[in-house]
Formats: sequence, structure tokens, C-alpha cells
Amino acid sequence: MELLINLSINGLATGLLLFLLASGLSLIFGLMDVLNFSHGALFAWGAYAGVWAYSVTGSFVAGIAAALIAGVVLGFLLERFIIQPVYGNHIRQILITLGMMLVLNELLKVVWGPDQKSAATPSYLSGSWLLGDVTLIKYRLFIIVVGLIVFVLLYYLLNHTRMGLIVRAGVINKEMVQALGINIHRVFMGVFILGSALAALAGALFAPYSGVIYAELGMEFAILAFIVVVIGGMGNIVGSLMAALLVGLTGAYLAYFVPELSLAANMLLMAVILLWKPSGLFGVKR
Amino acid sequence: MNRQTARLRWSWRHALFLLGVLFLAAFPWISESRSMLILLTQVFILAVYAMSYDILLGYTGIVSFGHAMFFGIGAYTVGILLKRVDDTLTVILMAVVVAIVLAAAVSFIIGALSLRLKSHYYAMLSLAFAGLFLVVAEKWRSLTMGNDGFTFTIPELLRDREMFYYISLLFMLVMYGLLRRFIQSPMGKVLEAIRENEQRAESLGYKTLHYKIIASIVAGVAAALSGIMYALALRFVNTSVFAVETTLDALLMTIVGGVGTLFGGIVGAFLIEFAHHWLTNLAKVHWIFERWIIFFGIVYVLIVLFFPRGIVGTVQQWLAARSHKRRPSGGEKTGAAQELNRQPQLSHKPKL
Repeated sequence: MELLINLSINGLATGLLLFLLASGLSLIFGLMDVLNFSHGALFAWGAYAGVWAYSVTGSFVAGIAAALIAGVVLGFLLERFIIQPVYGNHIRQILITLGMMLVLNELLKVVWGPDQKSAATPSYLSGSWLLGDVTLIKYRLFIIVVGLIVFVLLYYLLNHTRMGLIVRAGVINKEMVQALGINIHRVFMGVFILGSALAALAGALFAPYSGVIYAELGMEFAILAFIVVVIGGMGNIVGSLMAALLVGLTGAYLAYFVPELSLAANMLLMAVILLWKPSGLFGVKR
Repeated sequence: MNRQTARLRWSWRHALFLLGVLFLAAFPWISESRSMLILLTQVFILAVYAMSYDILLGYTGIVSFGHAMFFGIGAYTVGILLKRVDDTLTVILMAVVVAIVLAAAVSFIIGALSLRLKSHYYAMLSLAFAGLFLVVAEKWRSLTMGNDGFTFTIPELLRDREMFYYISLLFMLVMYGLLRRFIQSPMGKVLEAIRENEQRAESLGYKTLHYKIIASIVAGVAAALSGIMYALALRFVNTSVFAVETTLDALLMTIVGGVGTLFGGIVGAFLIEFAHHWLTNLAKVHWIFERWIIFFGIVYVLIVLFFPRGIVGTVQQWLAARSHKRRPSGGEKTGAAQELNRQPQLSHKPKL
């Protein structure tokens, strides 16, 4: 029982991190039709920026802030100078975001060195609570709480504000939104920056969770995030959350019981979904 | 008159091509440099790998981010069989058959799953599958020795570096010929039609999904063959053949050389391998050159942004513009790849 609860908490924490990564990816894809392969690099940049700022200032909050700033700045630069020029050409977009993934990853190594970095957990979040005979690790609960707060905020933003209305309308039909006199390109940029900041936040939260960070991290998580996006459906926040929790939980259980299968199981799940319902479990057919 | 000037120009290119081949054939006599011989051998092998990628990206418009998995399938198949069974030529032939079957099966599965969807899905699924292969190669230690890889012995005949150089050169030329034949066939024309406008190709009655799957199988098999040659050249195989970097090599070579030109793969392989060699040497001068991928990455992004045709494509476009013989559909159609025995009349009318 204790084991199951612990595994579930692990799975939920990983799942919510994946949600942070996948929600941006999914929104960007749904709205802009851009499959952003450099999304994982933003995750890694968030992790490095967070660890670096935390070690310099000694404040974990400053680390999170640094990660968010890195995400916003990189997101802006990417959208403005890399994605915009090739807008509307799918193949070039995919190719160029992959190239940027490479460049950003290598830049990480140039700035912070090619070796693994260890990441500390702030004292007020380390340790655990004992609930009966179940140990609850504080930091994992913290990730879960932050992830859920972000989900609620995103959900509110998308469903109860004018901005969210425009974004949702853009996902369904961007020509129509444009015809109504809204500068869709500005919306694109906003969503792209938001997605990048979420990815960087996920990275910053992930660093103390795993204890070590390295540049290839981004790629590994990006693959999981792609799986989440395919399962959850593109451009759908609730779907992303459900799929992220599903992938996180299966990952956690399988990593404990049959570690060889953990990646394979998620891939298999994706393959089944692609065969059976390509628009994703929670996706809207377009 | 047009045909005549065309033939003149083609024969000029033909001569240049032959000259290049002759130079490469004579190279072992001209130069004593052993490292150059090995480097060129690698270039020939990777050129096939790049050309196989061009079938997907350049001719069918499919973006794959997992091409390394086919390369790796070839490399591991030949490595494992040579190590486990015996180091004879028969075993290599066996490995070729096994690798072809495996690569065809894998590319069929991935293609059938994702090619009916938008291009993004193939990119994602191939990336994920390649990741899976990498993990399997790392974890199945009893068979693959994990990250460290393993060495194996190769048949006597192939051990001589000069001999292997010629075999690789021949391999590249034969594969170039075969792949060119493939893209010039009616089948290849349909692929180009799919690249240009899939819906229109479909409305002409072509089952585009079938064609796309066939293209991905051809590309996968060709990549597996180059993987076999690669492993034979190194007499060693480790997980790096499955790594994302290997896929990126294919992307870089194809895109730098010129997408949709086939010949661009050869040019790209030359440039990238030599630049790699050169930058690695520079690493002794300054540590930043150890991060050579960053240079390639930047060049790659710039090329996608500003010269999406790559080197061969840009040169072709320039030549075509100069000879006032530009066709409406642009440079790719006047590919260096398809020069020569081009029949005056087109043999592949759409079957309506």
C-alpha cells in the first residue's frame, strides 16, 4: 500500500511536470501548426538557469524566476527570428526547430560546461512528512501543487478570458479569427512565449526533483511530451493533463515493476492511439 | 535545338562526374595518407546514408527524425552476426538479408502508423522509435554490450583498407545508380507529385499512403545497407549508431548538400565529414571547437532559413537561370541526378 502511494505520488509529480511541458507544446501546435522540436531545449535551459540562479543567489524563488525569464526571452527570440521567417512551410518549420534544439543544447554545454550538474533542494522543501506509515516527500507534493495551480490558471485563462477565447477560436479556425480583425501573429507570439515559459518552469522544478541535470535532458523529456501530446490530442489543455498523468503514472509503476518496459509501454500506448484515434483521446476532430 | 544544348550541357556534367569518379578511383595511388583513405571511405558510406534520407525528405516530403534507427539496425545486425556466427562473407550476405528484412518491417510499421496523418506525426513517431532502439541497445547488454559496444573480426578479404576503399566507392556508385533509377521511375515521379501536392496526387487516383510507405521502406533499407558498411569499416559498433546525432548527420548532409537532388547527399557527406575532421583537429587549438555540433547546428539553421535548396540545389537553380531553360517548377526538376539518358518523351503519363 505504502509502495503504491509512493509510486502514485512519483507518477503524479512526473505527470504534472510533463503537463507543464506538453501543454505549451500542444497549444503551440494547435494554434500555430508548429511542432516545436526545440521545446525540450527550453526545458533544459529552464533547469540550468534555475540551478544557476539558485546557487548564485541562494534563493529558490530567484531560481524559478530566472528560469521563467530564460523561457520568455528564448521563446521570444525563437518565435521572432526562427519560426516567423518560415511560417506556413511545415517541413522547414520542423527542420528548423530541430536545428534550434541542437544549437540551444550545445549552447548549454558551452555556457555551463558539458558535465552533469547537481541540483539542490531548498531546505524548506526537502525532507518528508510521515502520515501513518506512509512517507510523503515534500518536494514531490510541491511539484504536484504547483502543477495543479498552473493547470487551474491556464484553464481559467483559456476558458474565462477574452484572450483565451481568441486562442481557442484560433485553434479551431485561424483564418476566421484573422478575418475578425485580430492580429493572429501577436496571439501566436504570446502563446509561444507562454509555452516556452511553462517549459522552462518545468525544467526548473525538475532539477531538484532529479538531483542532477544534463543537457540531453531536454531531448528525453521532449519525447515523453510528444507522446503526451499525441495521446491527449493537440491544442487541448484538459487532454494534455489527463494524458500527462497517464504517462507519468504508467512510467512510475512500470519503472518500479518492469523497468525494461517503461519507455516501450508509453510508445505502445502512443502507437495504439495513433491507430485507433489519431486526434488523441481527448482531441477534437478537425 | 533545345534538346541539343541540353545534351551538350548534360554531357559536360557527365564528364565532370566521370572525372570525379576517376580521381577517387586513383586516389589510393596518388596519396599515401592512410587517414585520408579512411576518411574518404567513411564519406562514401555516409553519402549513401544521406541519399537514403533524401528519398524521404527531398523526394517525398516526409520528415523523419529517426533515420539513425535504420543505420543502427544495419550496423548491429552485421556486427552481432559476425561476432556470434562466423566471420565469413556468407555471414555478411546473411546479415544483408536480415537487415533488409528488419529495416523494411520497421519502416513499414512506422509508416503504416503515422503516414496517413500530418507530416508531424511521422517526425514524432520516428524520433520516439529511434529512442526506443537506443534504449534497447543500451539495456540488452548480453547481446549488444550496452554503451561500450563491441569489436568483431571481418572476413580476410575486407581487411585491406585499400580494398575496402574500392568496395565503398563501388557501393556508393551502385547505390547512387539504384536510387536514381528509383526516383526516375514512374514510382519516383508519383513521390515527387506527393511532395508537391499530396491532395492533387490523391485526386489523380494514386493511393498516396502506399507510395509514401514504399518510399520509407526504400529509404530505410538503403540506410540499413549503409549501416552495414559503416560497421564493417569500423569493425566496431556501439550505441552511437542509434543516437540522435546520427540522425542529425543525415539531416545536415542532405540539407547542406541540397534537398531533392540525390547528388546533394554525396556533396553534403563530403563537406560535413571533412568539416568534422577539420573541426576536431582544431579542438587542440581552442576548446570551443570540441563543440563542433554547434557550428553545424548554426549552419544548418541558416541554410534552412536562407538557402532551403542547399548547395547542389542552389547551383542548379543558378545554372538553370543562366541557360534560360528554367522550368516552371524550379530547380529540382532539372536535377543533376536525372540528366543523361532522359528520353525525349516522358514515359510516365499519369494513369487516368
